[in-house]
Parts: sequence; C-alpha cells; structure tokens
Amino acid sequence: MNLSLRDIRHDSSRFLLTAVGLGLLLTVVLAMTGIYNGIIKDATALPDSLGADLWIVQRDTRGPFAELTRVSSDLEERARAVPGVARARSYVSHTIQRQLPNGRPLRFTAVGLSWPDDLGGGLPIIKGRPLAQPHYECLVDSSLGLALGQRIPLGRDVYTVVGITDGLLASGGDPAAFFTLSDAQRIQNDVSNEAIRLDREARSARVRQSALGRDPELVRFSGKNAQLIPALGPSPVSAVMLNVDPGVSLDTVQARLQGWQDVTVYSQAEQHALILGGVVEKTRLQIGLFRGLLVVISAILMGLIIYTMTVDKIHSIALLKLLGARMSVILGMILEEALLLGGIAYVLAVILGNFAFDIFPRRVVIENEHRLALLVIVTAISVASSAIGMKKALAADPNEVLAA
Amino acid sequence: MSDPIPAVQARSLSKHYGEGNTYVLALKEATFQIAPGEVVALLGPSGSGKSTLLTILGLINPPDTGWLQVGGVDVIRDGAAVGDANLIRRRNLGFVFQRSNLIPFLTAEENVRLVLELDDVPRREAVHRTREILESLGVADRASHLPMQLSGGQQQRVAIARALVHEPSLLLADEPTASLDKELGRRVMELLRTAAIERGAAVLIVTHDHRALDLVDRTFEIEDGVLDTEGAKVHGATL
Repeated sequence: MNLSLRDIRHDSSRFLLTAVGLGLLLTVVLAMTGIYNGIIKDATALPDSLGADLWIVQRDTRGPFAELTRVSSDLEERARAVPGVARARSYVSHTIQRQLPNGRPLRFTAVGLSWPDDLGGGLPIIKGRPLAQPHYECLVDSSLGLALGQRIPLGRDVYTVVGITDGLLASGGDPAAFFTLSDAQRIQNDVSNEAIRLDREARSARVRQSALGRDPELVRFSGKNAQLIPALGPSPVSAVMLNVDPGVSLDTVQARLQGWQDVTVYSQAEQHALILGGVVEKTRLQIGLFRGLLVVISAILMGLIIYTMTVDKIHSIALLKLLGARMSVILGMILEEALLLGGIAYVLAVILGNFAFDIFPRRVVIENEHRLALLVIVTAISVASSAIGMKKALAADPNEVLAA
Repeated sequence: MSDPIPAVQARSLSKHYGEGNTYVLALKEATFQIAPGEVVALLGPSGSGKSTLLTILGLINPPDTGWLQVGGVDVIRDGAAVGDANLIRRRNLGFVFQRSNLIPFLTAEENVRLVLELDDVPRREAVHRTREILESLGVADRASHLPMQLSGGQQQRVAIARALVHEPSLLLADEPTASLDKELGRRVMELLRTAAIERGAAVLIVTHDHRALDLVDRTFEIEDGVLDTEGAKVHGATL
C-alpha cells in the first residue's frame, strides 16, 4: 500500500495547487537560467556572426561592443597592406530609436558592412537575401518584427528589408539591422537642414577668422557640403575587422599591428572576454545571483511545505509507529511526497517554459543540460526538504495517540 | 491437560518518573497474567498508573524493572526490551482507543489492511482477511469510505477490526466506549468480547465505565501505582 499516494489523494487539490505554485517558481528559475544564457549568447552572437579574426579599434579603448571607438576610415586600407592580412572590412555600429509611420517604436543597433566586400552573406539569413545594392537595402533580425519587403523611413531615405536574420542582437539586447557602411553612417549622421546650414556657416566663419580666410576661394568652399571638401575627410568608422591568410599566425599579425601607436588590436577571443567581462558582466552576475536566490527560496518554500504536510499528519505518523510500522515506511512516505511534489513542479516548469519563453522579450536559451541541472537541483531540494519532515516524523511520539 | 500459555504474563513491572522531590513511583511491582480469550477491565482513578501500565504493555515506554511475556515470548526482561519492539507490536499487539484514531487518508478497508501489509502479509491474503473481519463486524459495506464518512460507531468497529485483523495475543483498549452513548458503548464492548473469544486474544480494557463490567471476565484495580489482581472477582461474563 503506497501511503504517500493515498495521502496525496486525500487532499489532491491542495497538493496540486502547491505543486503548481512551486512549478511556477521553478519556471522563473528556469527562465533566469535561460536569460543568463541568452545574455551571453546575445552578447557574442553579433561579433561571432561577422567572422573576424582580429579587431582594430581606437587606441586604449575596449572596442565597439564595449564603448565608443573611432578610427579613421583609411585604416581599412592600411591594414589590408599588412602581410598576412587576407581581408579588411570597416565596421560601424550605433543604436537608434525611431518610430514607424504606424506609431510603433523601432529600436535597433544599426551595423554598417563594408560594401562591396561584405554583403552580409555570412550572416544567418533565414529569409530573403544578402544586400545587393550599395544603398537603401537592409537586413534585419527577426526579433525586430519587420516583414520582408517592408520599407522603413530612416532619416532622409527609405530602406527596404531584403533579408531577415536570426538571433543577432547587440549586447544591450537590441536587435541588429545591417546596412552598407555608407548607409549606416548616413543614418548615424542624419541631421536637419537647419543644423547643416548652421554647421556650414560656423565652418565658414572659422575659416574667415583664420589665416585661411585670406583666400576667397577657400572661404567659398568652406560653406559648401562637407563631402565636397577633401580636406575634411570621410567620417570615421567604429573599427576595422581583419581576417588573416590561412596558415598565417594570428599572433604574428596581431603583434605587428599592435606596434601601430594609434590603435589597439584584439583577437576574437579577447573581444569575447571583453564583452563577457565588462559589457554584460554586471547583468550576468545580477541574473546569476537572482537565479541562486530563487533556488534558495524554492528550497526554503519546499522545506516549509513538506514540514507542514508532515505536521498535518503527525498524529497518523505517531499511530503508524504505534502499529509497529518500520521507520523506512514512514520516512519513505515523506520522501516520496517530497519527490512527487518536486517532480510535478519540475515537469510543469519545463512544459510552461517551452510555451512561455518564446514570448519573452529577451532571448531565453534553455538546453537539455540546463533542464538536467534543474532536475538535479529539484531532486536535491526535495531530498533536503524531506529531511526536515523526516526529523519531525522521527520525533513523533506514539504516546500522543494514547494521550489523545 | 496442561494450562494454555497465558496471552500475557507480567512479573514485577515497576516504573518511576522524575528524580528527587519530583520522584513518583507510577507502577509498583505489577504482576499478573491474562489468558487467551479473557477480557480484563483495568479500573482506577486518574493518575493511578493505568496509562503507565498500558504504555509498558504496548512497548511504548520500558519499565524500570520487571519481566513481560506476550504470546509466550519474552518481550521485556529485567526492565529491558528484548527483540524488535516494532515487530512485536505488528504481530502480537492490537490497540483500540477512546477515539477511533483511524488514519484519515485511508479508507476503512485500507486502515485495516495496513496492519497486515506493514507485516508483509501478501496483498491477496491481506485483502481476504480484511474483508472477512469487516464483514464479521458488520462494516463491510462501508469498506471504501474514508473515516470522516463513517459514524462514530462505524469508526470504532473499523478500529476494532484493525486491532484484531492480525490476530494479536494481546489487545489493549484505552477507554474504548468513553466517546460513545450507553447503547453504542455496550455494543462495542460486546464486539470486543466476541472478537477476542473468537480470535483467542487477551483483552485489557482501561475504563471508567462501570456499566459494561458484566461483559468482562475479571477486573484489575490500580491505585497509586499498586495493581490489585488478587482480590479481583470473576464476573462470570455473559453475552
């Protein structure tokens, strides 16, 4: 006769409600685990998808994923000339927030790809195609919720979504959108006509007030479109990505580039370490601590539940002792109930998670190993909390039955 | 023909509580024996030592000194338990209480069958014996009900069935009629007596209820821990 099942049957609704409550708590634990993994995956997904071996960034900065970094756009050409460098691409990224004509807010990280060298073919495109024109096309992440062919007005231009990528988010959790480098810069530098006029006037005034102002031709040029003034140079980029030739030592190329006094060079692994150790470190720690805290809360709650369940039937336990029941029968009943409670709560958490995590705004990454880890934790909690009930059961005195 | 082995035989059982100023000798040199099928009432005022004797016989509290044999087997020798007390309780002792004390999450049938299954009696045999005793006590039709769905009398019958289903040598009943009205109390006493005779169990009933004393074979009286069995009269119980 299975006493635990009969005890549960006696008040099944209470038991199931308790299991549901515990299951919801475990769902949050699982979600925290998934968000924790998601943060790590999100933070590294974008640099990984770009497939660079080395990143050249502004001297003494931590790279475009950690802080603002600017390098000259001609750095791409300089790097390409280094022996062993197979490919050099400029990279720009900036987060923008706009509003679609229908009023929906649109927040994403705009990434510029070196046209025509990088069309985004290496990205995980799940719908559509890579970029095919130097302007007015973009690839967007599926989490942005835009449709293939949808047109997005950004600044003075309208861009058409030609491809949808999957799982490419910036370290802040914003979806990535890919443009050609010049389009990304155009979006970044978009200012109003009045601002342009004021900037030109200020530039012209600076020229007039300096020795350059003696030349009327220079004064006239200084008030024109900045792109028509070669001396001003093109806009800087965030970084330059390099790929080295097969068989060439990465360390050798990196060491050579480190000799340049205006830049710092990171390998992909160093970039990873910088992202995880700096950009997402606090978030990662906070989520990790929150997850740990939830596990402790679950353990305390479960201990209390099992203790209460044991106290509720302490008279029956004393009676069982009086009837000569072996301690293994009594302790087994408590352990089975704790394991059953934990088991039901765990299954519920896994099932709920399968449905709920897809609609979470941030990516939730749950693999089988995480489910297995939670199962081990739940089992350990169940056993530990049953020990509290067992202690109470061991102390139950058969005399209580006679005294009642 | 030799005398049958007593169902229970006690010699010089003593028990004290406290030390120094709080020292109380709750049971003094209790010596007695009860034959199989014999029903004995244990009478005495509150605090006289009835419960102490009951807990010693139930192997719940050990005595300080003395010797106790149940079903022909030593269970206490020189005040110390001999063998596995749980095993002896499972096989040789039955309990009936003032309240039925049925396990609330088991049906009537399961409450009775539990005693057999705790002693590893095969399920089929346990089911058969349970059904048989529930029928003999007139509660077979309530077998699938939970205790809370039974009347007080039905609960007490199920409790008696539980106490006797494993055919113990000694049945200890603690005020089994105290919570029942006169008529129901008498019927419970009759049931106890009938079942004890049929199954050859010795019955020791702790009671204050003098109305049913005609149903017992002997009375023991206890006061200040002193058990008087010598002067106890045989009632010539009838059914």
